[in-house]
Amino acid sequence: MDISFIPHWFFGLDVIFELAFAIITFLVAMYAFRVSKISGQNQPRLFGWAFIFFSISYLIQSFFNFAVISKVGESICNSIKVQSVSALNALGMYFYMIFFMIGLVTLTYMTLKIRSPKTYLMVLAISLLSIIISLNKIYLFYFLSSLMLIFIVSHYVGNFYNNRKGKTLLVLTAFIFLLFGHIHFLISVNHELFYVIGHFFGLIAYFLILINLILVFKNGKKTK
Amino acid sequence: MAKKRNRLQVIHDILKVIKEKNGKIKPTHIMYKSNLSHSMMEEYLGELIEKGFVIEKKEAKHKTYTLTEKGFEYLQKYRFITEFSDSFGLTIE
Repeated sequence: MDISFIPHWFFGLDVIFELAFAIITFLVAMYAFRVSKISGQNQPRLFGWAFIFFSISYLIQSFFNFAVISKVGESICNSIKVQSVSALNALGMYFYMIFFMIGLVTLTYMTLKIRSPKTYLMVLAISLLSIIISLNKIYLFYFLSSLMLIFIVSHYVGNFYNNRKGKTLLVLTAFIFLLFGHIHFLISVNHELFYVIGHFFGLIAYFLILINLILVFKNGKKTK
Repeated sequence: MAKKRNRLQVIHDILKVIKEKNGKIKPTHIMYKSNLSHSMMEEYLGELIEKGFVIEKKEAKHKTYTLTEKGFEYLQKYRFITEFSDSFGLTIE
């Protein structure tokens, strides 16, 4: 990946954004695991794992982007024998795509409500292998992730239709922003502005998810 | 047509009925108010007693049921579970 489409003024800010995404997704995962533990249900566990993988992907992206702008990058390049910080950035993007894709496949599998580990593994293998062997990895990644996000958004449209409340609308809106954030990358590979817009879409999406999480925490503590 | 209640919901409904009666209720009231057959209610109550959510007291001619601290905790946890699962579109069976 060429880092030239990241505007210079955005170096550093993207690291903060990604770190915030990692923290929020980690919190969602922890809540989901708590729900799974109390209820003994599988769906919240899958949801939790999906968000754990999102969190790992953002953490890795944040770390590598930080390495690019700091002196840490040079020492990492020397120790793992990578030619330039640009290659280091590409490595970060590579790990990000893999972990994010695992999270998305897990989330899509959860929303489809099918109980077939073989189907899950097959979709996961197809998604990951096609990205790994593709000549245009980034484009394919954003194409596949947009496709999966369309399925996820349709699940949340159904959820909102069945349960018309503010909290379901918040989550639906969050996933629509995530979808926009991914779709726009398909037309933005050579444009600096779109990299920034993608991060802002992500920020809005995770901010909405955080608001929902706070509401769940507050309402969950109320006693009728 | 109303959706079939899942196991967690039935347990919640029984505990809620007991709570609403100030923690002391006869089995027939539980049966009617939580909309269960006699055999189902017996099964659920047996489990709730075994898990320490409910205490059974035998009085002169009838039994009464009271909620324990663990039972109150369950009601709060159930609220948390439904809040989270509803908003994030998760199905609790």
